[in-house]
Amino acid sequence: MSTSARTDIFARLRRVTSATQAENVEQERASLGSAPPPELPADELCEAFLVNVLKNCGSAACASNRGNAVRAVAEHLYRHHRQHRLVAGNDPRLAAMPWRDAGVLPRFGALESGELVALSFARVGIAELGGVVTYTGRHNPAVNNFLPERHIVLLDVADLVADTEEAWARIHRASDKQGRPRGINIIAGPSSTADIEGQLVYGAHGPRHWHVILLGDVPEGALDRARAATGSAEPD
Amino acid sequence: MQQRSEQFLDSADTALQDKDAAQRRDLMALFAPAMRDAAVENFTAYEATRKHVKRIRRHSLDNLAHYLAQFEHQAVANGNRVHFARNADELNSITLDICQQHSAHHIAKGKSMVTEETGLSGFLQRAGLQVVETDLGEYIIQQAGETPSHIVGPALHKSRDEIRALFLDKHPLGERQLDETTALVDEARKVLRPQFLQADVGIIGANALIAENGYSMLVTNEGNGDLCANLPRVLIVCTTIDRVLPRAEDATAMLRLLVRSATGQAQTCYTSFYSGPRRAQDLDGPLETHFVLLDNQRSDILDSGFAEMLDCIRCGACLNHCPIYTGVGGHAYGWVYPGPMGSVLTPLLTSLEHSNALPNACTACGRCAEVCPADIPLPDLLRDLRARENSERLNAPRWRLGISLQSWLAGKPRLYHALTGACIALLYRMGRKRGSFRRLPFAGGWTSQRDFPAPQGKTFMQQYKEALREH
Repeated sequence: MSTSARTDIFARLRRVTSATQAENVEQERASLGSAPPPELPADELCEAFLVNVLKNCGSAACASNRGNAVRAVAEHLYRHHRQHRLVAGNDPRLAAMPWRDAGVLPRFGALESGELVALSFARVGIAELGGVVTYTGRHNPAVNNFLPERHIVLLDVADLVADTEEAWARIHRASDKQGRPRGINIIAGPSSTADIEGQLVYGAHGPRHWHVILLGDVPEGALDRARAATGSAEPD
Repeated sequence: MQQRSEQFLDSADTALQDKDAAQRRDLMALFAPAMRDAAVENFTAYEATRKHVKRIRRHSLDNLAHYLAQFEHQAVANGNRVHFARNADELNSITLDICQQHSAHHIAKGKSMVTEETGLSGFLQRAGLQVVETDLGEYIIQQAGETPSHIVGPALHKSRDEIRALFLDKHPLGERQLDETTALVDEARKVLRPQFLQADVGIIGANALIAENGYSMLVTNEGNGDLCANLPRVLIVCTTIDRVLPRAEDATAMLRLLVRSATGQAQTCYTSFYSGPRRAQDLDGPLETHFVLLDNQRSDILDSGFAEMLDCIRCGACLNHCPIYTGVGGHAYGWVYPGPMGSVLTPLLTSLEHSNALPNACTACGRCAEVCPADIPLPDLLRDLRARENSERLNAPRWRLGISLQSWLAGKPRLYHALTGACIALLYRMGRKRGSFRRLPFAGGWTSQRDFPAPQGKTFMQQYKEALREH
């Protein structure tokens, strides 16, 4: 059934659509260019990204180096769960973090029943969306993104880009070298729903809380300015 | 899903009798457009992006055979199996075959209007499979035995109290209050979590297919589609052939319009791109992945005067802004797609004969075209369907007679102006004392609901000519 359906559909499409040669189709597409770049909420990239993370009802912190990032994770874990346990994918960048320095006890693997917090290391951050890009695969099981109560994501400032066009350029360059990832997830907020009378509720199926830690040279005061711009309070 | 579009007027009447539901629709008609308008206002590149995406969609559809073949090639290279379905029956059968090959019993399903169109859930259930809709809105209406009333918020017609009563009835979880929306969402989360974990097959839709790399794009806020895509051992993506876009960046450009137009957000929580089955050393992910690509009249639409309808990105903005849709709700339309986009699509995907009431459910106010992010001239397409209705003699004989007379008269401008001038002068003399008419011949449809204002003496053309003479 499927083979003849395929033949029928393509025969019909070839009758009703253009018979342009493949290379000309590609040229025509190239001539259409890219979408106009979206306006960012701040001139400086980190600040623009942080503004949009906060607008997406995420929370954010900044850490100048890996030691501080581990401490920021520890503080966040303790503040919200009074514990230091989390699950992280088998990402070499996460394995290389000095967890012991802050007493964090990561288990490397896929989230299991009863585990509340998962940590991922983003491949790219997109200022336009206030979102992070993770790849699902051996370094980051999908369940770590979609099943915990709280999802913490580390993002290196060097991996922050302005818009999705730049993000795709990076993803394509990486795919050319390492192959295509199984899944590419843009995450921009905690799981939410407005399916009951249009009222927004967090934690529909996945994380109720989403926390981003920006790691590296973040301009001083960027997070404070982002909080001021969005009316977000500093965490207790 | 059984089509009841022929009963549109009766269903609309019934819907208007339910005052509570009408009040909820009125409220949504205020909130949803306000949220969309604010999001669009804050997005300065909206018009330029709309034009760009329109050009990309035109290019994709003009070269659909090329891009569909490219997508298929890339998707197969990524490890997927790609199936084609000419119609709803074929999509349903292919999907059931895949489930049966894996001895599947539990199916976790994400939100997909295409599978609503084919009636997939009911088909699989009749074959003995247990199908659970996992999008909260879809889950609510599945439990209630209803159909979606909106393409983005399928259960927005139900009140919180109705959903509370439904959950208390359907979930054997003992005594509880469930007074708050958060408690209802928590309960659905608790009930649905095991469904994801025990599902043998996950079925999702796709907002776009990307030709250059064979990925599908899925846009959600809940993350349920991602759980369906990653937890069961088999994944089936059901979508239509017209969803193909050339490049990944084209899909995310479209996303900028889709999200703002649909929910008023700048970005949804989860936008996922799936390439295929799990790889060696992956700790999760499906072992086998399938695409089922449906035509179901799309190739015919592409070859018709209604090809622009295939540009629709299913955002629902035209529904939220339509005075008819917000007045009578989605169920009155009697099939899967309601509102302006549904009034065009339903006759094209089913038959005009059984849905000709829908293109007439239009006030020609033009709000749908104004807010459509795909820039589809919906009022024009509805008018063309009404013209087809007339030429195929599907409307009432007296309507056809009236339209023929109007058409004949409009072709004779002198006679037209003379006759309308005489009628207006007569009505002016008859009605100037009271200022309006309670009854008028041939205008019973109007005067049964409201008075007809008396004309003020001269037609527009008479006044226009006088003004020209004066200047």
